[in-house]
Amino acid sequence: MWQRIKEIYQFREMLRHLVAKELQSRYKGSVLGFLWTFFNPLLMLVVYSVVFSFVMRSELKDYAMFLFVALLPWNYLSASIMQGAASIVQNAALVKKVYFPREVLPLAVVLTNLVNYVLSLFILIPALLLFQIQLTPALAAFPLILLVQTFLVAGLTFLVAVGNVFFRDLEHITGVLITAWFFMTPVLYGTESMPPQLQAILVWNPATPLMEAYRAVFYYGRWPDWTLLGWLGLAYLGFCLLSMVVFSYFQRSVAEEI
Amino acid sequence: MIAVEVKDLWKKFRIYHDRSYSLKETLIFWNRQRVEDFWALKEINLAVPRGTTMGLIGRNGSGKSTLLKVVSRILHPTQGGVAVNGRVSTLLELGAGFHPDFTGLENIYLNASILGLSRKETSRRLEQIVEFAELGDFIDNPIRNYSSGMYVRLGFAVAVHVEPDILLVDEVLAVGDLAFQEKCLNRIQAMQERGVTIVLVSHSPKQVEDLCNYAVWLDQGQICREGPAAEVAGAYTAFMKSLAH
Repeated sequence: MWQRIKEIYQFREMLRHLVAKELQSRYKGSVLGFLWTFFNPLLMLVVYSVVFSFVMRSELKDYAMFLFVALLPWNYLSASIMQGAASIVQNAALVKKVYFPREVLPLAVVLTNLVNYVLSLFILIPALLLFQIQLTPALAAFPLILLVQTFLVAGLTFLVAVGNVFFRDLEHITGVLITAWFFMTPVLYGTESMPPQLQAILVWNPATPLMEAYRAVFYYGRWPDWTLLGWLGLAYLGFCLLSMVVFSYFQRSVAEEI
Repeated sequence: MIAVEVKDLWKKFRIYHDRSYSLKETLIFWNRQRVEDFWALKEINLAVPRGTTMGLIGRNGSGKSTLLKVVSRILHPTQGGVAVNGRVSTLLELGAGFHPDFTGLENIYLNASILGLSRKETSRRLEQIVEFAELGDFIDNPIRNYSSGMYVRLGFAVAVHVEPDILLVDEVLAVGDLAFQEKCLNRIQAMQERGVTIVLVSHSPKQVEDLCNYAVWLDQGQICREGPAAEVAGAYTAFMKSLAH
């Protein structure tokens, strides 16, 4: 295992290049180019603000912001998993012709979406100020929440990436499951507003405590629940390492299966 | 010192029969085996001393490329193992991992990183790579505008400048025009002189005789004959002639 991680580290240059390539080429050829990285969340914000201030009024104060602070990390999670599922199969030509630790491909997807998420903060923070939501020192907890989330995202992405090689239907199933997961996660709504029976179920959703932590630091200006976050960090790190073990076992026959 | 050691290597492929089954058939024949085993390599034992250039010859489907891929770790052996001492660079397909929207220069960095080079190492070799590829001003153009010859030239230039201890080559020496082919061969010879171990897959016994000092003839996944390059290449040529008549 340690050996494996060291090898991935040796290929960090490749990882860096893949991430840079992905970030640059996503909008290559479009007039606004890289600026789309910012325009995307901005336009999304405008749409949500208009819809929820004029069309569907919500009793929650600044509902657009309430939604936005959870939607951005959710997009990081869902985009990583969806793109990650295709990552190895899409790079079949490379996988068949060159040796490199295959973990690099799903990792590149996760890091690309991580960078995208972090860049979208340049829209989020001004928007929060515009809506006159108090920014507090609790924001200092953000990197930690992000790290915990990344363990979860990476773990899941590893599994779907290698799983999709052997079972291609997974890519499509993943899309449906993610949508279902979205509605079971407190992104559009807050946990408090749910009936107690439903809350009891929501607790078991691995994404719930993350969304609540993000909402705490950005929207409510409160510190997150440290004990919970600590345990989550350990659990998701364990999950991520376990996924890597599974991945490294199955990646051996990846080149002949795609 | 041994650069590449192959010990009791077996490689099995599963051949899927690509006939589409209807739902009814799938349900009825649920347990029926739809996969066939194919042994691409059987009991291969090899030891390549450092500095040797070894040629792999054999007919189509004899397992040459499979062996090369197992040594380069692209494929995982079913049984047995491979031990490699030193940095390996593989020339299986030139320009694997090139991105058409990026310029030649950007692709050099990208490709070199896939072959395991750090940014610093690439920068140090950049001038040589650019010069070797002979692309002139095209180096700053997106490579989707390249001709196929330019494409492989760039790929070859990057791969040979990785400065590996062990170079694995699969039939890629016939790239570009005659002058460039000559240059590639010179480059290979320069590497031989520097003590690089080379394993080379070829269809041409002539090339094996010219470039290699040792040769292995594979047939149906097994070593049919091995020994000094001239001897094995000669036997293989004679065998091929007997087949043609």
